[in-house]
Amino acid sequence: MGKEAVFGIAGLRKSFGSIEVLGGVGLALHSGEVTILMGANGAGKSTLVKVVSGVYGLDAGTMTLEGKPFDPQTPAEAIRAGVVTVHQNINDGVVAALDVATNLTLDRLNGAGASFFFNPRRIRREAKEVAERMGLTIDLGAKIPDLSLADRQMVAIARAMAHQPKVLILDEPTSSLSSAEANRLFTLIDRLKAQGVAILYITHRMSDIRRLADRIVSLRDGVIAGTFDDKPLDYEGAVNAMLGRKVGIGQVAIREAGKEVFSADGLRIANAAKPFSLALGDGEVVAITGLVGVGKTALAETLFGLRKPLEGKMTLGGAAYAPASPRQAIDAGVFLVAKDRAESGIVPDFNIYENISLPFLDRISRLAISRRGAERRIARRQIGDLGIVCRTEKDDMSTLSGGNQQKVMVARWMPEQARLFVLDEPFQGVDIAARRDIAAKLRASAAGRATLIFVTELDEALETADRILVMSEHTIVGEHRNASLNMERLLAEIAGQPAQSAA
Amino acid sequence: MINRRTLGKLALGLVGATALMQAPAFAQTAPAPLDNPGNVKIALVRYLSTGDFFQAYLSGVESQAKALGVDLRVLDSRQDAALQADMVDQAIALGVNGIIIQHGLTESMKEAAQRAVDAGIKVVAFDVNVENDKIPQVEQSDRDLARLALEQAIKDNGESWKAGYVYVAGIAPLDRRNETWVDFKKKYPGIEEKAMFGTLDNPIANSVANQARSVVSANPDISVMFAPYDEFAKGVKIAVDEAGLSSGVKIYSADISTSDIAAMREPGSAWAATAATNPAVVGQVSVRALAMLIAGEDPGKSVIVPPTLITQKDLNDNDIKNMEELSAKMPQFAHADVVMPAWMPNPNKK
Amino acid sequence: MTTRDLAVRYGFLLLLAALVAYFAIAADGFASPQSAVFIFQSVAITGVLALGVTATLVVGGFDLSIGSVATTAMMAAAYVMVIFEQNALVAVAACLLIGVVVGLINGFLIVYMRVPDLLATLGMMFLLVGLQRIPTEGRSIATGMTMPDGSVAGGTFSPAFLALGRHRFDFFIPNLIPVSVVVLLVLAAAIWFFLEYTRFGRMMYAVGSNERAAQLAGAPVKAYKIWAYVISGIFASIGGILLAARLGRGDIASGNNLLLDSVAAALIGFAVLGAAKPNAFGTAVGALFVGILLQGLTMMNAPYYTQDFVKGIVLVVALVFTFALSNAGRR
Repeated sequence: MGKEAVFGIAGLRKSFGSIEVLGGVGLALHSGEVTILMGANGAGKSTLVKVVSGVYGLDAGTMTLEGKPFDPQTPAEAIRAGVVTVHQNINDGVVAALDVATNLTLDRLNGAGASFFFNPRRIRREAKEVAERMGLTIDLGAKIPDLSLADRQMVAIARAMAHQPKVLILDEPTSSLSSAEANRLFTLIDRLKAQGVAILYITHRMSDIRRLADRIVSLRDGVIAGTFDDKPLDYEGAVNAMLGRKVGIGQVAIREAGKEVFSADGLRIANAAKPFSLALGDGEVVAITGLVGVGKTALAETLFGLRKPLEGKMTLGGAAYAPASPRQAIDAGVFLVAKDRAESGIVPDFNIYENISLPFLDRISRLAISRRGAERRIARRQIGDLGIVCRTEKDDMSTLSGGNQQKVMVARWMPEQARLFVLDEPFQGVDIAARRDIAAKLRASAAGRATLIFVTELDEALETADRILVMSEHTIVGEHRNASLNMERLLAEIAGQPAQSAA
Repeated sequence: MINRRTLGKLALGLVGATALMQAPAFAQTAPAPLDNPGNVKIALVRYLSTGDFFQAYLSGVESQAKALGVDLRVLDSRQDAALQADMVDQAIALGVNGIIIQHGLTESMKEAAQRAVDAGIKVVAFDVNVENDKIPQVEQSDRDLARLALEQAIKDNGESWKAGYVYVAGIAPLDRRNETWVDFKKKYPGIEEKAMFGTLDNPIANSVANQARSVVSANPDISVMFAPYDEFAKGVKIAVDEAGLSSGVKIYSADISTSDIAAMREPGSAWAATAATNPAVVGQVSVRALAMLIAGEDPGKSVIVPPTLITQKDLNDNDIKNMEELSAKMPQFAHADVVMPAWMPNPNKK
Repeated sequence: MTTRDLAVRYGFLLLLAALVAYFAIAADGFASPQSAVFIFQSVAITGVLALGVTATLVVGGFDLSIGSVATTAMMAAAYVMVIFEQNALVAVAACLLIGVVVGLINGFLIVYMRVPDLLATLGMMFLLVGLQRIPTEGRSIATGMTMPDGSVAGGTFSPAFLALGRHRFDFFIPNLIPVSVVVLLVLAAAIWFFLEYTRFGRMMYAVGSNERAAQLAGAPVKAYKIWAYVISGIFASIGGILLAARLGRGDIASGNNLLLDSVAAALIGFAVLGAAKPNAFGTAVGALFVGILLQGLTMMNAPYYTQDFVKGIVLVVALVFTFALSNAGRR
């Protein structure tokens, strides 16, 4: 490349207890370039990010910034030095109690030279500048909890930009963004590149990689398994280096549905939305895709008894189905892996087997007394079936990587036979390998139930489903068999463009 | 506030129906203006009112006022110092002849009391120092309480014994009782204080019982417990009973209530004696002192209500079960012969 | 296991053992069966309350009303026996009923009225402190007391009821173990088993750790929360029964010291065995820890204010064990 690296890492090691997570990582970031970091489950990506951003100290190795040693003791120190990180957990990047404008300018309230007085008008003015520079179109007076995940992510990134970083680290920034929003982010990244910022971008999305990558680095088992910077970039090589094995571009073998398991008739889930109908058959995996905020989660929650449809009927196995609570849904055989596992899935104080046994504890227990032996047996089987990477079933959830945590969320429901298995964004924050494991497991176990997956990412639907439904404006607008499908029509439906035929 | 609240808890007991229903009975014609008592108004301005002690005090004030035939107004500030001062002004506006200030803070009441005096109104104060020469103080004597109980302990046990002492510093009545204890230890070098303990964590008796239990196990040779507050004594008694030492330890205390009487009279009770002032009597004395002022007589700068010693034997001999029977059967407890000019009606006379 | 893990796990128990050894040497009469039983007795009431508040901590709540529930139950027991002239059974039933009703109201306020737990139970605390004064116009209740209308109450504390505070069971040594200690041990074992080994207990932990996840796993979250407050109310009322039986009368009291001591015991319990979460075993050990410390200090003639000070130190050290040493400090 010829250019001098602005940021370098050499021989970096980090262990937790006896487990070595990073075993001598070397990496160079160049100004004005996007370096993509890929890595499977537990490869050490998150740990690497946390060392660089000053959350963890390093055990061995060196880091340099602009030729000078860089060893931040705190995140604040790293930021002051010009290394800014936007973490995967969006809520770490925003202060929920404050409005958008204050969030955008929050860092100016601290540190030397900050005015003692809090001037709301100046804040608003400065926030407006920041927002305009970023192409942000969010109401600056809005409260954070009222924003969608996507908008929160944009605020978090915009806030990071306000530091004018030399090195910007983005940890899976698009995992909850719609494609339009992602495009806005990409535009922004282009602008930063032009300003000479060195960017480390962690993602699994091939579309992001194709759009942004100047260089790809694959991390596997705590070491760099491959660096790809010869144009044109060898994407497949990067994936193979990351996985350590060859992955075929998994085209699913389409199956036809068996007899109807679930149907919805004239279902309306939002005001001013068109009613729709839906039928799911035994053994099929159906993906419902659509942009963020088109009602996918609302539909999932309706199926699971968390909200009532405004009108319409549902039937399950031929009988009327109108659950008033998750308990009733579960008893009827409708299971849900909810979106955002940290918020609505994981019980952080529980270990793996306690998380797995959670919904069916009453069935595992005898006379209300829980049987830990049985719980652990069930958990061990699920760990084997799904390939959950852990030491034992007694490990804490916090020791697992995102993909393995998600596998536990799925494993929770597997021991019992579902009639309708609903998964809302099951691949959010999950690396490719874990995603394929989960998808394979879903397809392998699909017989005897209907499986319904809600995904924003079209790739995920294509990889997993027999049939793809498209949602837009709280109703279903298209249906496709996942074989020789009309991609153009599908994309148009997702974008909510008129002139397509309703399903 | 613990100071004030605890004072309330230093409940000397509950005396109610001493003489609520009598018509005024005059031994002798009272001096003007009390010869025409229907025209005389007095006010009781209270700072503290909840608790057994204050209930009994009020009943004493009411009975004496009734015996005199004067018109009594009760103004209750419920521990609001500023309100209490306002209430004095309210009483002045009512045109009362006399005011009793019952408890309060020196800082807030001093000027209000002066305003009343300036308005020509007679004032007495109970248990609050308003720093005014024209205002007599009604007091119960904590030193006398402690002295009576300790003298009984000397009488029962001789001049040489090992003692446990229950005390919490910083509470005015307890501090005054402590002075007497310190004097006694000097006077009788044979008294050895093996342990001092005490707490005001409520319920007090329960917390003191826990402490006393440790003390008696660590010092099995203690033969006298001086617990100059009935809640303390109650706790010590529980501990002594639980440790099975009732026969080896004697408890001397101050204050009394119906439940204290029951505890003292239990078979084999370690609680030997207590010294107490009857709060109803204090109430009567307050009104009598005020009446004398109104009549132009001088009750003295300081009116002290003497305490009574009550022993386990007194209670058993007279078969006294509650405060009413205590008043009925031990007349020295029901009536104190202070501020009793010849014309003063005795509310306890049937 | 690293040294730190060992320290977090067994440090507090080690501290407890060291404390016992120290007092056994330094304080005469400390090392005896009677002394051991007495330590249990001195913490029986706060221990029972602490076990109750542990249940609310488990579901992620808090109950500030336990102290006043206990004193209200004490007043109720006295009122029922002394003024209504009822027997011990009625008195105990009345107390338990109060506990259940207060728990249900707390739960209702928190779950359905969405009042934050601290505020709802704070309100309940004030309400009860006032309520216990109303029937007697602020008087304490004792046998032979005078009522506001001038009449004399005819009832007495029944001997069966007083036995709850005074009877002792033989255990190797005659008349050794008081009823209150047996109650404490039985309740501690019961709540420990309930929380650790039944599915209800497990779901309560799930509710406390991630309410939404528990709900999506089909748990009736609201019911579990209300139940936790009912358990807390019942335990507090049992504490009140023991208190009334020990004192033999009904004292007007806010019970704030009971509240603070029992909350301290439950929080100290976080540190036991490195649990870092509310747990019944830890709560019982926490209560004992405070009891041993106070017993030993009193035997060595330490004044009462040093005891509060020492309690505070223990609590702070326990919280450091819990929060600083267990999970967080990974840097």
